[in-house]
Amino acid sequence: MNTPATHTATMQVRASLSELASVRAFVEQNAVDAGFPEATVFQISLAVDEACSNVIRHAYKENPGMKFSLLISRSANDFTISILDDAESFDPTNMPPPDMNKYFAEFRHGGLGVHIIKKVMDFVTYIPADEKHPHNELRLVKNLLYVS
Amino acid sequence: MADFSTTHRTVQSIHIIDLNGYLDAHTAPILEKEIGALVEQGMNAIIVNFRGLDYISSAGLGVFMVFIEQIRDRGGDIKLAAMTEKVFTVFDLLGFPMLFDITDTEDDAIVKFTAATT
Repeated sequence: MNTPATHTATMQVRASLSELASVRAFVEQNAVDAGFPEATVFQISLAVDEACSNVIRHAYKENPGMKFSLLISRSANDFTISILDDAESFDPTNMPPPDMNKYFAEFRHGGLGVHIIKKVMDFVTYIPADEKHPHNELRLVKNLLYVS
Repeated sequence: MADFSTTHRTVQSIHIIDLNGYLDAHTAPILEKEIGALVEQGMNAIIVNFRGLDYISSAGLGVFMVFIEQIRDRGGDIKLAAMTEKVFTVFDLLGFPMLFDITDTEDDAIVKFTAATT
């Protein structure tokens, strides 16, 4: 069920990994203001860091001349972070979860960001840009109903 | 760049790296380069002390995956010690304690290394 957003905040992010610290500070402040406990604030910040790292590295190839946006909205039920980019559409939510036994047996590295995001957030959806949506949107939602 | 730094020490022939600050996709290459240099020099006993580390993302976890096979193949190890609860949750989320020797304290890690060589 969608309830009207009671609060919104936006941030423009340069496609540079040096922006990640500012991204986390922005997300953490908004998550604290929403009333989440410290451990949940950490999880949300981690998920957004992973999502933005992927956008910066894979979608924009670390081109600091490019920018994308974060939009945080809060309703009675949900705390939502949307990552909006204009690069080629890529739906990370379709990626199957890694087999961690195999991952460790083969000493792989990398490729775990999306898995972390799915583990720590309540809902993760991707909306590719089309006639109705001007930007690709990765939407990360944490439920607010259980916050005391 | 003040958001991540390391210091290096040696205790009983074990190389200890103290981490400070935030280990993310931006800062992970710093640590990768430092551990890479140690592995290349033939260092087989490395303890990473996480006491001063406030944050880690998957890029940080990846640094340890890069070297663990090579160092274990020649009989060594990278042991991870003194993580804060928050940082440990990131390792635990994906089952990394299955692969890595993670100890509560640096001393525990030192004891494990010295016990293994005596």
